[in-house]
Amino acid sequence: MRRWLPILLIIALMTAGTLPAAEKELKVGFVYVSPIGDAGWSYAHDLGRQHIAALPGVQTAYVEAVPEGADAERVILNMARKNFDVIFATSFGYMDPMLKVAKQFPKTVFMHCSGFKLHQNMGNYFGRMYQARYLSGMVAGAMTQKKILGYVAAFPIPEVIRGINAFTLGAQAVAPDVQVRVVWTKTWYDPATEKEAAKSLLDVGADVIAQHQDSPGPQEAAQEAGAYAIGYNSDMTAFAPKAHLVAPVWNWGPFYEQIANEVRDGSWKSRSDWYGMEKGIVALSPMTDLVPRTVQDMVLAKKAEIVAGTATVFKGPVSDQTGTLRIAAGESASDEALLGMNWFVQGVVGTTE
Amino acid sequence: MRLRVTKRQEPLGWGACLVFFGALAFSLAVSAALLALQGKPAFIGIRLLFEGAFGSRWALEDCLLKAVPIFLCALGVAVAFRLQIWNLGAEGQFALGAIGASWAALTFPALPGSYLLPLMFLAAALAGGLWGLVPAVLKLGLRVNEIIVTLMLNYIGILILEYKVYGAWKDPGSFGFPMTREFPAAAIVGNIGATRLNWGLLVCLGCGAAIALFLDRTRLGYELKASGENIRAARYARLPYGRLVLLVMALSGALAGWAGCLEASGSLHRLQPTIMAGYGYTAIVVAWLARLNPLNIGIAALLLAGLRVGVENLQLDLQVPAAFGQIMEGLILLTVLAGNFFKDYRLRWREPDDA
Amino acid sequence: MTPELTIALLAAAVQSGTPILYATLGEIFTERAGVLNLGVEGIMLIGALAGFIVAKTTGVPVYGLLAGGLCGALLAAVHGLVCLVFQGNQVVSGLALTILGTGLSSFWGTAFIGQRTVGFEKLPLPLLSEIPVLGEIFFQHDPLIYLSYLLAPLMWAFLRYTRWGLGLRAVGETPAAAAAAGLRVLAYRWAGVLVGGVLMGFGGAYLSLAYTHLWTNGLSAGRGWIAVALVIFTFWRPGRAILGAYLFGGVMAFQLRLQAMGTTLPSSLLLMLPYGLTIAVLVFSSWRGRGSEAPAALGVNIEPRE
Repeated sequence: MRRWLPILLIIALMTAGTLPAAEKELKVGFVYVSPIGDAGWSYAHDLGRQHIAALPGVQTAYVEAVPEGADAERVILNMARKNFDVIFATSFGYMDPMLKVAKQFPKTVFMHCSGFKLHQNMGNYFGRMYQARYLSGMVAGAMTQKKILGYVAAFPIPEVIRGINAFTLGAQAVAPDVQVRVVWTKTWYDPATEKEAAKSLLDVGADVIAQHQDSPGPQEAAQEAGAYAIGYNSDMTAFAPKAHLVAPVWNWGPFYEQIANEVRDGSWKSRSDWYGMEKGIVALSPMTDLVPRTVQDMVLAKKAEIVAGTATVFKGPVSDQTGTLRIAAGESASDEALLGMNWFVQGVVGTTE
Repeated sequence: MRLRVTKRQEPLGWGACLVFFGALAFSLAVSAALLALQGKPAFIGIRLLFEGAFGSRWALEDCLLKAVPIFLCALGVAVAFRLQIWNLGAEGQFALGAIGASWAALTFPALPGSYLLPLMFLAAALAGGLWGLVPAVLKLGLRVNEIIVTLMLNYIGILILEYKVYGAWKDPGSFGFPMTREFPAAAIVGNIGATRLNWGLLVCLGCGAAIALFLDRTRLGYELKASGENIRAARYARLPYGRLVLLVMALSGALAGWAGCLEASGSLHRLQPTIMAGYGYTAIVVAWLARLNPLNIGIAALLLAGLRVGVENLQLDLQVPAAFGQIMEGLILLTVLAGNFFKDYRLRWREPDDA
Repeated sequence: MTPELTIALLAAAVQSGTPILYATLGEIFTERAGVLNLGVEGIMLIGALAGFIVAKTTGVPVYGLLAGGLCGALLAAVHGLVCLVFQGNQVVSGLALTILGTGLSSFWGTAFIGQRTVGFEKLPLPLLSEIPVLGEIFFQHDPLIYLSYLLAPLMWAFLRYTRWGLGLRAVGETPAAAAAAGLRVLAYRWAGVLVGGVLMGFGGAYLSLAYTHLWTNGLSAGRGWIAVALVIFTFWRPGRAILGAYLFGGVMAFQLRLQAMGTTLPSSLLLMLPYGLTIAVLVFSSWRGRGSEAPAALGVNIEPRE
């Protein structure tokens, strides 16, 4: 036994060396569904991560391109085992794997984006992007001459469908007879295909192009055709100065900071946070000079109403493509209905499949 | 003095192992250099990679779990490669297998597990196998190149999967997200004890053993090898080349189909587009690294699974992008491929005058 | 479909076919020398990234294009090293190259996402662009498209009429006989691999410098694989590559326009069109009995001399 003692000692020392330092830093982990290089959804979350990484006493880490399912469970599990204090999982499909892990690690805080399941140590959160989409739709409705708007869409999931519907309602609020044509690319980041999709919409007469993907491909197409374009996720003026009007943008930083602070001082409670423009999670980039002053004022007035809570986007009467009434007059759509939205409002040309 | 290349007369016994690990070490060194170039601590990085892959019981469990679909796909691919049939379509066959299994699980949810699970495996094998037969038939009947057809069928297979889960099979309770309902309990391959591993591991072992026996101990397996090594000679010896092509492609597809079935049933418990994690492509790498030998495929599958799992550790601790795993995968394959040269040839210096 | 829409569609077919055309021509050149390079996708990505970075830093699009070609050739040289020097299997090496190229381009490229570079802009050709219909379809594009119009016939003439072209083909058909006739077989094969790599790199650079002026990871989005498929469809002939590439580009552009016009077909089914078409075209060309026109020594390594 004595022979082994030095070796045991060395092993003990080595293990001690790898223990975390004495001063307690808040360890925050992020799980992304795509590479942050997609310039889109994950990228926006990563900007939020960078925001809190710059705060004192916060240490962050992320794992990107994690497929939903078994891989996600493993990644979340490993983060929990590595004593992360908060773990943010930013895709719908991470919900069940995260819940499974959350039940095993009651001291860790789990935050799931875009889902609905809760546990005592698992909360969920999302942003009301559709509010900003509605406002961008108003801009489009005011700017279109031909009353045809084009929408380059990513995948037919509720987040995207909700955005198209809000955009359409916004446009209809300004130009009631406007039509929104949708082309699915089934891509999140393929600028060439997305540009081509925008061109196909321009060919059928659209004179304002909106998009859900984050590549500025559609913006370029609009500029080349002398049409207008509405961006997404960042101010895309630089890519198409003669076309870019406005862009709805994500801004996760303040929210992540809030949660990090709550977890640090122990005040965090499991809940569902679905914030909108009032908290700045979702915002509208400044409108460019191409948008006339009067239109800007009208949109900003509406924005103020939405922020104040006096206006809601999905307020009845709203009918779907077939003319069936989906939201009765005077009623507003519930959060649950919004979360699972899989039908287009009247005025959209396209299919949700 | 000039370098002289001669063909080895005898196989390079244990030296072959040395060549393999030499190539592995070389690609690790290049990867480490890449890390250093990015200002990351290279040696710590490589250590983290290994720890994340094989450093603990958990890591090993994760590794094994990840290796299961890769192993099954690679096994199928290897059988086809033995005959020099370039089946690059494991990805699509995997998709079809998952579709087949999900069809069974969603259509007969009331069946007890002892019927439903075999039915799912049967449906998966049929769907995957038929998907594999398409390029085989086209190759035999019309001499259409199988590389392209299998590749294109990958895209189509994945789109069929999307078509089903975005459409008819979408779970009404999924809030519009593309996924099927959760499978009934009877359709789920259970876990082994308290581990994250499921009984699919046994399927793997069984398939591995069966394929090894088939390739080395049966007449058909021998014919396969002989035909693959020399098609013309095989035709001359009246070996049934056409039937062999059909057989290997069906087998290949069925095995990839089972991988899809196990992923849907054992890991996800439903069908969703993210089931497609590129195992079919990794399988080609694995099959080749293993030189098409079933036992080696097991080892190579673990290695590649370890790489995938270990890279996550690198990401977590050093913020190395996920693409680093791809770079390593490509490097390992290229260096091992180049290293094989030294198994077949030897280099010797010679004096210029004895030419 | 109205006449205007049809013309717009055909013009779009030319543009979306062009990156594929460059890559297909590159692969034809490589395969004519007897080397199968399945790494097109990876090479295109590296070419696209290199082109983007250089054009952005220098402000000169042509430098970007050249950088794209050069880096494409560099990655292709890895394939040459593994297959021509170390006798590695060409199918597997090509696959590895795709994996490596995809990885490297994301590894280095992430920093450049969300930026814009200068690039090639539309340049309607005087006179030609004013021809009704044809002018709109073919002559109101960027200079790289015009370059591709010249490239295909040039390659055709090179392979058919020049000494080097004939040598390249001989090496791809019967290397042993070519060697006996005094040709430097390995040198030809290297030329095939490297020139092919340059063209594939151009194809990638077209995506990041002309089609769009952007970079994102995975920019080529499967176009490299389609190029590999088109080589078979073209029977290894540069002239037919034009037809194949535009057909393919046309189908991609067509399915998007079908959606824009308000079809109710599910998008998953529409997206299958290009892939299904590839198989159909292969079946059709093989059915006419010409599927076996591949260079006889394609994919077969040349053993080093004792």
